Amino acid sequence: MSDASEEELSLLETLDHLLDRGVVIAGEAVVSIGDVDLLYLGLNVVLANVDAIIRTSQPKQIK
Amino acid sequence: MKLVVIGAHLERGDIEPLAEAVAVSDLWLSGMAVEDAQPMGDRDLLLRVASVRAALLERATFIAIRYGFTAHSSSDAFAKCSAHIERWRRVLNEYRGHVEMTLKVAATAARARPDRHDFESGAAYIRALHDATRATDVSPEFRKAVDETLAPLAIKHRWSNRDTASLEFAALVKRENVAAVNDAGGKLKRDFPSVPFLLSGPWPLEVFADDHE
Repeated sequence: MSDASEEELSLLETLDHLLDRGVVIAGEAVVSIGDVDLLYLGLNVVLANVDAIIRTSQPKQIK
Repeated sequence: MKLVVIGAHLERGDIEPLAEAVAVSDLWLSGMAVEDAQPMGDRDLLLRVASVRAALLERATFIAIRYGFTAHSSSDAFAKCSAHIERWRRVLNEYRGHVEMTLKVAATAARARPDRHDFESGAAYIRALHDATRATDVSPEFRKAVDETLAPLAIKHRWSNRDTASLEFAALVKRENVAAVNDAGGKLKRDFPSVPFLLSGPWPLEVFADDHE
């Protein structure tokens, strides 16, 4: 694998861990349909365009 | 101003001057101060937080708080975190000096993700998505090799189905064993050249942050 590919994978993994891992503290919600509680979610809404982040970032800044 | 909270730490010295430190009971939260109007989906902010997070982990082990959580004051942070502090203290004390490593591997045969339009109810769709995710697996030989090479280097490990196309092996390892884990990953690469997997880390406490629940 080339260095560039490895850096891209490293960045992807970093963003995956940042956005999708760890303890969820806030934004809890109960999704209900009618009077039935269907799902209890730990929501953490982030509107980030990951494609844009990868394209325009400088991977060497990230471990 | 608001604080984008990054993690929970045992010591103030584990945080400063890399990030802002906010006391919550006898623990500390790390974070980055930003303007109230700062959108959380901002690319540069995301990358800055990722960079600070990596630097904090080099300093000491902490519990990662998922990106997006903000607090406006110390009392605000405490109010949101107070239910977790007892457990965080136990986890941080027990796992100080440890980090997480993860190995993500593509499923042998990825399951098709269910199409919401094929289901009359959301509940049926969610159940089908859950079933498809649970049904993914990797080759028994590769899984056995991971269990025999990586698991012994960890004090704890877990396999989990993350989606319909991949599985993940998470390992809690002593910092001094990170190099050995990477070496073992290299051996897996040589022994299973056709299996697509990615070994990454070290990471802060994420998967194992829920221990002691």
